Amino acid sequence: MTALEYVRAEDRLPEETAPPGGALDPALLVGTWFATDKQAAGVVRLELRQQDGCLLVRAFGADPVQPNDWGEIEATAYGSSVAAVDAMAFSAMYDFGFLVTILAAYAKQGILVLDTFNTFTDASGRSNYFSREFFHR
Amino acid sequence: MSSLQTTRTKDKPQPGRIGLVLPVNLRPLLGGWVNYDKGSTGIQRLEIDDWEGTPVVRAFGAGHPDPIDWGEVAGAAFADGVDGHHAVAFTATYHLDFATVLLAAYLNKRLLVVDAYSTFTDGSGRASYFQRDHLYLP
Repeated sequence: MTALEYVRAEDRLPEETAPPGGALDPALLVGTWFATDKQAAGVVRLELRQQDGCLLVRAFGADPVQPNDWGEIEATAYGSSVAAVDAMAFSAMYDFGFLVTILAAYAKQGILVLDTFNTFTDASGRSNYFSREFFHR
Repeated sequence: MSSLQTTRTKDKPQPGRIGLVLPVNLRPLLGGWVNYDKGSTGIQRLEIDDWEGTPVVRAFGAGHPDPIDWGEVAGAAFADGVDGHHAVAFTATYHLDFATVLLAAYLNKRLLVVDAYSTFTDGSGRASYFQRDHLYLP
C-alpha cells in the first residue's frame, strides 16, 4: 500500500483506522437556521437539506421589506477529522454577478457560526468585506 | 446615478461614502504568524506578505522532523464592511496534488483565527474536514 500524501499531521489517518469513504452524514447541519441577532444586517436565515447525497444550502439576506432569497446552491460538507462520518461544517460559493460570496460555516453546541467573505466585481468602489454571524435552529 | 445592487443590508455603503475608492490596507495581516498551540496537528506557521496590494500566503503544516512548506498562493483580503479599509480577514485556496484546502481566516483582537476546509481529491477515502488554529505574531 502506498503512503497517503499529506501536508500536516492532521491529514494522516490514525494507525489501524480505515478511511471512512462515502459521504458525510449531514444530520447535524440540515434544517432551518435563524440569525440569533434579530436586527441582523447580513444573512438572516439558512436552509440546509440533503438531496441525492448532496448538501444544498439556501441563504436569505436581510432586507427592510422581506428577506432576500439568494437561491439554492450545492455546498461541500466537512467532518471534524479525516476519519469523520458526521458533517459539522460546510462551505459554498454564491456568484451574484456583481458580488461573489463565500460561505464558510461550522456547527458547535447547537449554534451554527457563519463567516462570509464578500468580493465585489462591479467596480462600485465598495470594499470587499468579511462578516461573522450566529444562527440557531 | 443608478442604485447599487445588494444581497443584504450590509452591502449598502453609508450615505456619502459611495465612490471613495481606497484599497484595503493589508498591514494588520502581514507578518510571520505562529500557532499558539505548539502541539497543533494543523497549520504551524503562516507567512503573509503584500504583493502590490494582494496578500501572498505561505503556510507550513505540522510535520516531523520539520514543518511542511505548502508554498505560496495569492489570497484575497477583506475589510469589516463595505466602507472599511483595514484588512480583518483573508481567504486563500491551495490546490494540491491530492487535496484542496480553503483557508478562511480572520483577526480576533491580536489572534489570527485560521479555519482550514480540506477536501481530498486522491480517492483515498479520507473525509473532507474542518480544522481551526489560532496564530499570533511573536
